[in-house]
Amino acid sequence: MSVATFSPDSTIADDSIVDALKQRFGDQAVLEQSTLTGMLVLWVSREILTEALSLLRDMPEPFEMLYDLSAIDERLRANRHGLPDSAFTVFYQLMSIRRNRDVMLKVALHEDDLTLPTSVSLYPNANWYEREVWDMFGIDFRGHPHLARLLMPPTWNGHPLRKDHGARATEFDPYTLTVEGQDIEQEALRFKPEDWGMQREQGDTEFMFLNLGPNHPSAHGAFRIVLQLDGEEIIDCVPDIGYHHRGAEKMGERQSWHSYIPYTDRVDYTGGVMNNFPYILAVEKLAGIQVTERAQTIRIMMAELFRISSHLLFLGTYLQDLGAMSPVFYTFTDRQKAYEVIEAITGFRMHPAWFRIGGVAQDLPRGWDRLMQGFVDWMPARLREYERSMMENAIVRERTRHIAAYTTREALAWGVTGPNLRATGCDFDLRKQRPYSGYEQFDFEVPLGGNGDAFDRGQLRIEEMRQSLRIIQQCIDHMPAGDYKADHPLTTPPPRERMLQHIETLITHFLQVSWGPVLKPNESQQMIEATKGINSYYLTSDGNTMSYRTRIRTPSFPHLQQIPSVMRGGFVPDLIAHLGSIDFVMADVDR
Amino acid sequence: MTYTLTRAEEAAPADERYPLGERQRVEEDPMKQQIHRNVFTGKLEEVLNSAVNWGRKNSLWPYNFGLSCCYVEMTTAFTAPHDIARFGSEVIRASPRQADFMVIAGTCFIKMAPVIQQLYDQMLEPKWVISMGSCANSGGMYDIYSVVQGVDKFLPVDVYVPGCPPRPEAFLQGLQLLQDSIQEERRPLSWVVGDQGVYRADMPSQREKNRDRRIQATELRTPDSI
Repeated sequence: MSVATFSPDSTIADDSIVDALKQRFGDQAVLEQSTLTGMLVLWVSREILTEALSLLRDMPEPFEMLYDLSAIDERLRANRHGLPDSAFTVFYQLMSIRRNRDVMLKVALHEDDLTLPTSVSLYPNANWYEREVWDMFGIDFRGHPHLARLLMPPTWNGHPLRKDHGARATEFDPYTLTVEGQDIEQEALRFKPEDWGMQREQGDTEFMFLNLGPNHPSAHGAFRIVLQLDGEEIIDCVPDIGYHHRGAEKMGERQSWHSYIPYTDRVDYTGGVMNNFPYILAVEKLAGIQVTERAQTIRIMMAELFRISSHLLFLGTYLQDLGAMSPVFYTFTDRQKAYEVIEAITGFRMHPAWFRIGGVAQDLPRGWDRLMQGFVDWMPARLREYERSMMENAIVRERTRHIAAYTTREALAWGVTGPNLRATGCDFDLRKQRPYSGYEQFDFEVPLGGNGDAFDRGQLRIEEMRQSLRIIQQCIDHMPAGDYKADHPLTTPPPRERMLQHIETLITHFLQVSWGPVLKPNESQQMIEATKGINSYYLTSDGNTMSYRTRIRTPSFPHLQQIPSVMRGGFVPDLIAHLGSIDFVMADVDR
Repeated sequence: MTYTLTRAEEAAPADERYPLGERQRVEEDPMKQQIHRNVFTGKLEEVLNSAVNWGRKNSLWPYNFGLSCCYVEMTTAFTAPHDIARFGSEVIRASPRQADFMVIAGTCFIKMAPVIQQLYDQMLEPKWVISMGSCANSGGMYDIYSVVQGVDKFLPVDVYVPGCPPRPEAFLQGLQLLQDSIQEERRPLSWVVGDQGVYRADMPSQREKNRDRRIQATELRTPDSI
């Protein structure tokens, strides 16, 4: 599939989209909003929403992926000049691979009528997104097949992302669990097939319902999936998430722009500073900061090192799920070596929170290049060994070849991104297609798969590690000299050397560190190619020291939603192989 | 040394809050009372108790249970570079019924709490709980609507390991502290011998114990070189 080159300023392509919509619905029906998101943002009315979505989905060079769907509680937002009156705004972000463009549709809703038509028939992955919006905001989607809570417990009262809902646990009564309460909660979690339109028996066959999770060794964390089985065959399955919801989006509304950075680390917790990347870039767009080349290169180097560390964890656990006990011991030895480098540079292992608005936390320590080179020299032989012992192993091949396979078309319809999309042969890597932070200056290839099966998803990640090593090698060889922090008034924390010059610089420094920087009202978004797929932060600033709304789009969420469509007709061991091959962590799903 | 006495649970009334069971502080070592009664059997019991505790503490089987980030560091402790087998705890059990202790490695969510309670109840005595990481200890940085502010709101915790996440070495230290406390425990040697309750020793606080040594450090290494 050919992909157009991306430039954030190309408005000609966008004009044709606006023209098409205006031609169909009239000039008054579409209102353009200018933002810093780098994409076309259009307000449409509820009445034409479904038609507008289907027009975009079916146009030549279509918007085939529903990239994100969520909402904003606008009731306390002060800076909304020129925007339609709205209490709650629901937004739909669509992505076109061929155009390499995005478009966002926004719909204004009033408090007395919080309903919208469902889009599940147009985009199958709208299902969970709409459930999440119902759960978090209390917005009703008419015609939704099963509009139940997704992230919060079924017994929960209220909708947490509304501005009038409490944020802190300490605002509520302290948590207690009674013997009776335990029974009520357990009963509420019981799976009832009838609720999901499932039959208990058909003809002579009585189905078995197997509850896998929320704690199961192969479920990689607190994930639950209920299987409808006929013998070993999976007739249908229902994934159940929300056992790992840490309220990261609500947290963004009370932490300063600076002090939110450590929370991003813990979203995809195997990705470390990779998570800081999209957030920091989105904040820098709002602040208008241009970072130095050295800071850019340091960021890329650390992000790629974490990609390797995350892929190593994937490889070990994926093969362990297939029944191979030893690989996890080898890959964790390699991870330990990566952590030695990470720790020497950032001072911490898993969650360094090391990127800063306008740069990174500190300059590279003396001797970093020797240490990093040691790791880059160590890895290739190990990767070759993994290929020979595992990926060329007949049992592994038999277990994963043509298992849980899907096509590019299906992947896009379900919102699948990252290595799982590229395993189907679709050449879409943001580092190439929409280079950020200077990736265009690096020489590397994007590995692709052919069958889109569990084997390709494993093999491809080994190849990705090789490419990441190439990028890191180029960082070592060509690390630019210069500052590790941008010279800009909103850089946080500001350069310490200037702090003690006179009282003015001291005051500025103090305010910047204690209250945090104030960003002008606007909206921005940044996508990056994270370890597991495309990760983005969509930030809305209302001219304050905190974000008004932080929307985190994580890759693992749609990947889990896709499981039933892939697994119907498969066997239980295939499901385990598939779960291993997806590479998800629950914090990246539930946030 | 002072002790906390926990008795075996009877059927609990419906409005009883977790953690179940009545806890009672005991000032005197229950073993000493035995010695007063009979010097010889007292010694024998002490030897037996020590032998059983020695066996228990050196083959603790962990339950394969993880919630979030801390679980990755816990798993790291199981693999080759840290090798938990040195402390006799490499036999990870996938079923709570076969496990000796449970590590709450990660954030304890309100939606997950009843599930954790269920899994804890399925473990057989003797059983212990290690709370690993700030979230499990106190909620940590997640003072948010969906998170229980510390797993000790409903589970009895034996050892708290600080960190976000703690390093694998910290987890291994926590495991050794649990072993130390198991050595001091007094449990019935049989259902006909002695007092039918669990006496847990109140172990000294590590913070107080190490404070003097820690405040000796006045100069920290600069991060400018590796």
